[in-house]
Amino acid sequence: MNFITVFRKEMLEQGRTYRFLIVAAVFVAFGLSSPALAKFTPELLKAIPGVPGGIQAFFPTPTVADAMGQYIKNMSQFGVLLALLMTMGVVVQEKERGTAAFFLTRPVSRTTFLLAKFASMTVAFVVSLAVAALGCWYYTYILFEPIAWGPFLALNGLMLVVFLVYMALSLLGSTIARSNGIAVGLAFLSLIVIGGIGALPTIGDYFPGRLFSWGASLVLKGTDTAWPALWISLGIILAALLAACLVFRRQEV
Amino acid sequence: MNLDKLMQFIPYLIPVLIIELVLIVIALIDLVKREHTRGPKWLWAIIIILVNFIGPIVYFVVGRKDE
Repeated sequence: MNFITVFRKEMLEQGRTYRFLIVAAVFVAFGLSSPALAKFTPELLKAIPGVPGGIQAFFPTPTVADAMGQYIKNMSQFGVLLALLMTMGVVVQEKERGTAAFFLTRPVSRTTFLLAKFASMTVAFVVSLAVAALGCWYYTYILFEPIAWGPFLALNGLMLVVFLVYMALSLLGSTIARSNGIAVGLAFLSLIVIGGIGALPTIGDYFPGRLFSWGASLVLKGTDTAWPALWISLGIILAALLAACLVFRRQEV
Repeated sequence: MNLDKLMQFIPYLIPVLIIELVLIVIALIDLVKREHTRGPKWLWAIIIILVNFIGPIVYFVVGRKDE
């Protein structure tokens, strides 16, 4: 069986387990609501009865920077969470249920089995993120001002790279783990290590999370770059996938 | 109170509300069809309907149990 056949089966699986639906719903909802909330939150606060009139001066008029800030904050939190949640069970659950053993009796390599899973998850994230970005761009355009396409595309590309880092690590955890509980633990361990160390100053410049602030700077016409973080992120993705394939090849399923 | 400004806000939220509604409907259909869930079915129905947005997602992630 070739890669395309297994990939198709995995895409069907994405639909059957509602993974695709969840990722798309969450991304699109935040893509649309982020610029809208940035625009209207000050109005909503002003509308609360009993708020003294003078306080209105403390809510500055929202700008396109607020819209982008909301979008990046929401997508970074929920995107990373979804990358972990949607991926951490994909291998270990098939091992627990015995469907992996059954599937691997067919002429399909274990590398194909893993990479098809990763590729189908990637497609789900790319499509969902694309729709969300389109929605966010349009809402920002009608509520604030148009933002340049190039940098906005780059921002979303950088966010995707971070999601793929967590997806690859979560897939590795799912491959190593013997039980679902351990896979969950490993997925969140990766969040603590990568997210935690990445939040520290200086060293954080080399961690995936840095790509969010680089993306923000791009959209807001800043000059900030973080190429090392990008190369390291891509390196983590490749290393995690390679490690997962090597582990899975030797594993008793 | 700035009611006009508030009313302006509503149309922008309609697509998000539609997404939420679709999630709720699909989650409820799945719940009705499924034989086994983790925890009682009626509780999941309440969570799906009442917990804004997160409810159906939590059901999809942890509530379902394979036959």
